[in-house]
Amino acid sequence: MPENDAVNPSVRWDVLKAEGAVLLTLHGDLDVASTPGAWDALEKELKGGEISSLEIDASNLTCDSAGLALLYYMYTGRMTPGATVRMSGLSSELQNLSGSFSLADFQALRSHQPRRRSFLEEIGAATASWLRDLREQVEFIGEVAIDLSGSIFHPRRMRWKEVFRVFEVAGVNALPIVSLITWLVGMVIAFESAQPLAQLGAQVFVANLLGLVMSRELGPVMAAIMLAGRSGSAFAAELGTMKVNEELNALQTMGLSPVQFLVVQRVMAGVLLTPVLTMYAMFAGLAGGVPVMLALGFPLRMVLQQVRSAVHYGDLAEGLCKSVVFGLVVSSISCLRGLQTGVGPQAVGESTTRSVVSSILLIILSDAVIASITYTLRQ
Amino acid sequence: MIDPCANLIEVRNLTVGYGGRVVLDRINFQVRRGEVFAILGASGSGKSTLLKHLIGLHQPLAGEVLISGEDLTKAQGAQRLRILRKFGVLYQSSALFGSMTALENVRLPLDEFTSLSADAKDLIALSKLRLVGLESAATQRPADLSGGMQKRAGIARAIVLDPCILFLDEPSAGLDPITSAGLDALIRELAKGLNMTFVMVTHELASIYAVANRAVVLDPRVRGIVAEGPPSYLRDHAAQPWVRQFLKREAA
Repeated sequence: MPENDAVNPSVRWDVLKAEGAVLLTLHGDLDVASTPGAWDALEKELKGGEISSLEIDASNLTCDSAGLALLYYMYTGRMTPGATVRMSGLSSELQNLSGSFSLADFQALRSHQPRRRSFLEEIGAATASWLRDLREQVEFIGEVAIDLSGSIFHPRRMRWKEVFRVFEVAGVNALPIVSLITWLVGMVIAFESAQPLAQLGAQVFVANLLGLVMSRELGPVMAAIMLAGRSGSAFAAELGTMKVNEELNALQTMGLSPVQFLVVQRVMAGVLLTPVLTMYAMFAGLAGGVPVMLALGFPLRMVLQQVRSAVHYGDLAEGLCKSVVFGLVVSSISCLRGLQTGVGPQAVGESTTRSVVSSILLIILSDAVIASITYTLRQ
Repeated sequence: MIDPCANLIEVRNLTVGYGGRVVLDRINFQVRRGEVFAILGASGSGKSTLLKHLIGLHQPLAGEVLISGEDLTKAQGAQRLRILRKFGVLYQSSALFGSMTALENVRLPLDEFTSLSADAKDLIALSKLRLVGLESAATQRPADLSGGMQKRAGIARAIVLDPCILFLDEPSAGLDPITSAGLDALIRELAKGLNMTFVMVTHELASIYAVANRAVVLDPRVRGIVAEGPPSYLRDHAAQPWVRQFLKREAA
């Protein structure tokens, strides 16, 4: 059959047909490169007619696993359903190797269907996992609270060196990005609010607005979101990798609690650094508004006067109070997500994602709660 | 199988090291076709480093690694890929992809490097899994397999493209003696049945005597090879007393 020469130069075959009996003689090298083409061509050639018996002569053939797969496929009659198939001439080495092919395995694989869960089951499983997560969160909060208070009453038990390391990495090193972002946000708010306020002739109140927004709301929230994205994710990945590497198991068998040894210092550092970062973010945001005000023609002295008249110590206290809560929430939920990591590298990625999502969700939730409490107190 | 690759590894004047520290200085050895070759030595003697250079993961400071006559250290692009296709590697931790089933792990090289149909790829991957005795675990993920099964799946993945050489990094590390003996039997079977060449780094003296035809012993003090020959010969006749001791003490 010369027509297949162009497709597969390394393998050729002759087909002799007589009253439903077919003799297939293969020559050359049936390897991983030539097999795909030969497979298609042979399938086309054999599937058409009524074939009652197929004899394969492989005495002039060399092949690798791919070629053996083709021979095996033909040998088991999948190309010529109903026909009796015989094979001859396979070298002993290839015969050894072809012993590892099994149609039963193949059919078992094809009939293997991963069990699908019904909709109701999915809802049940999701609820159960949500409740389990809630329970773990409550237990975790309790454990952190006990260990944290223990460390406050017995400061020597706290590994302060680790606290300061985290403080530096998560706080001091975050200053450039926090200043850039809050400065830009302050500038944009001032710029955007100046236009509607100009229609009322109240442009000077841009400074009041910016002062209030930054001290009560955006300062703490921006700093906390930055902490969640920059450091919370790092906590989760770090603890998650430790879990995958069985380091957490090592701590437990030494009689050390991972919460006491790893989480408490991170939470402590988080609580200490967020108020500082928040103060910094507030000033950076205000500083962003100043160039806009100057461009609108207000002198610096007047801008500062307006801010001072609008922002009271109470507003500052509200902002700092929020920031402490955010610090607590972000660093502890991130550590919890790290400790909840499952098996394998994928799980570390999942817990990192979950740490950022949960952190931001909790930041916004607790922000709303604190804002409504302070609103009630102010009445 | 009948692939005419002149199956020989030749290491010429290989000098390896990092950070200005030379670990192995101008070493030479050859691995012949069909051999099970063991690289021995105490911890820290550079066995794993040597293996990483043999498989092209690291660049040597000097020297050549010839795999059937082609220099892996200088090969680029298509030539490098062609050399890489001549061998498979079983890593110490098996290095199976956790997000895929055992079958998908084994099928991955076929998916990436061949144009076979899905049926053909499954048939081949299943035959390799049967070869290592894992056909019933095809749809399980690595996390659900035991350490020994993971090693077997790692071997199945390494041999799926019919390489002529298989590199094994501490194949029996972390396995119990019985599982480890089973793995040795599998290696012997593959070496005999498929005519493959094996290069293994190992500490396990039981498996050295069970499978290896020839071995080199690395010594960190001379930063090179101090003995070369069949393991049982080295145990009785090596020139250095510590090599004889090394090969006897652990065997006891």
